[in-house]
Amino acid sequence: MDESRFQEIVEEIFERFKAYGVTKKEIENRLRLLLFEFKVPEEEARRTIINGLRKNYNISRADLKPPLTKISEIEPNKWVTLKAKVIQIWEPNSPAIAQSGLIGDETGTARFVVWAKANKRKLEEGKCYLFEKVVVDEFMGIKSVKVTSASDVREIDEEIEVKEEGGEVEVIGALVSIQQNSGLLQVCKLCGRVVKAGVCVEHGKVETNEILRVKGILDDGERTYDLILGEEVVKSLTEIGLKEARRLAEEHLDRGIVLIELKRKLLGKYLRIIGELRFRTLTARSAEFFRPKIIQEVQKVLEEAGA
Amino acid sequence: MIRAGRREVAKRVFSKEFNASKFKVGGEGEKEAVYVLTPLGLRCNRLFIVGVLLEKEEVKPDSDMWRVRISDPTGSFLGFISKFQPEALESLADINPPAIVAVTAKAKLLERGDRILPLIRPESINLISEFEFETRDYWIVETAKATLRRIRAIERGEEKLAVEKYNPDISEYRAMVIEVLNKLKEEYSAIEKKEEPFEEEEKDLGFELDEEIIDLSDFDIGD
Repeated sequence: MDESRFQEIVEEIFERFKAYGVTKKEIENRLRLLLFEFKVPEEEARRTIINGLRKNYNISRADLKPPLTKISEIEPNKWVTLKAKVIQIWEPNSPAIAQSGLIGDETGTARFVVWAKANKRKLEEGKCYLFEKVVVDEFMGIKSVKVTSASDVREIDEEIEVKEEGGEVEVIGALVSIQQNSGLLQVCKLCGRVVKAGVCVEHGKVETNEILRVKGILDDGERTYDLILGEEVVKSLTEIGLKEARRLAEEHLDRGIVLIELKRKLLGKYLRIIGELRFRTLTARSAEFFRPKIIQEVQKVLEEAGA
Repeated sequence: MIRAGRREVAKRVFSKEFNASKFKVGGEGEKEAVYVLTPLGLRCNRLFIVGVLLEKEEVKPDSDMWRVRISDPTGSFLGFISKFQPEALESLADINPPAIVAVTAKAKLLERGDRILPLIRPESINLISEFEFETRDYWIVETAKATLRRIRAIERGEEKLAVEKYNPDISEYRAMVIEVLNKLKEEYSAIEKKEEPFEEEEKDLGFELDEEIIDLSDFDIGD
């Protein structure tokens, strides 16, 4: 066992007992004894120490229920127990992962990963669970909760209101699809829905606003984002703003030409997006064509390949 | 708030790995999608490819069914575009081979008797201009990375099904990735070499050399 895993277990136990005056030293000594001298399996050692401390300090089992942590308070490398709702399940990108996705509670959201080795029942979107003994890690500023074989996950009969939080993220991916409701559009002044022949499905014959936008799918090979590019961002990428779009449409007597032009300039291109991620939807604040230093990227991957 | 159907991720795979596919997985139950299982264990339903459109040919005259071949550094993808892919069909009309294209496509296995043919059905196809060569090169890098990830998963024993079905030669695929990357590296090194002396010349001579005004014999140039 490596030192970091050892410390993880010490931390986990310490978190649960620190309120009772237990010291880290005490836990470390016992754990070292069981693991390294008696070669007891990790999980057995953990349980023995917890039971021993409970007896020594006269703590009832019910009192020792691990305290619940809110998602906004989770910290990397800590073992926590939390109640959360599964907001989304993504397609796992590795056979080592049984499930991954997004969970949330009233304080925020986090990614989660269930390892295949954990052998847990499948979680379902929209249901709420108690996640016991899950470990937190952080990758590129995004916190995620890992469900391991040491974790317990069970469904709870509670409704959790998830805070819809907006976090600024940077995503690099290919724009693999542009939806039909993109381009130069007439939208209802009341509800913002796209209006056809001056008629809104909700409000009937209405006054309209003219907007320019792109709705598409950004795909990094591991997950997809519903991407929204507003007029400013579209203009910065394509040099087609509302004015230019109107000119194009008038010239060709067809609004459709704007969408064709935007597709020609954007579809299948790699974009670097900085924007607001809300569940699946990524609203771009800024965007640029992603033009990496290829030679450096190649060198990195060659090293990975052990060439 | 939550959309029921999940969009399939467009996977990155080299044609050599994809074309060696013989098995499908999934498709059980009404909602589950069908995936092509590649020798390195990739389950793909949708692909994103940036490569060279080499051929475009109408299968039968006026059938509006087009056969396309799109190459990457390891081989080529065979694809069919028909009226069921209206967006791709429309774009294809304006693209003539050879041309670099970015393609989003469905991955399929065509079974004819005991012959199995991996192919793609492009949903969209777009021209990549010669000034955007990084798009293709970045696709190669990205695909190399994804391939290496799959190789490592097999080495760790995490990909039992593919190993059982294909027993892939890992060293062959690793050699393929390394070869592709080395080739790309060479290309870029060649570009850099070509550019350097040009820049130096510009730096040294900020003026035009006029031999009549400057008498070269005044300078000790040496041999």
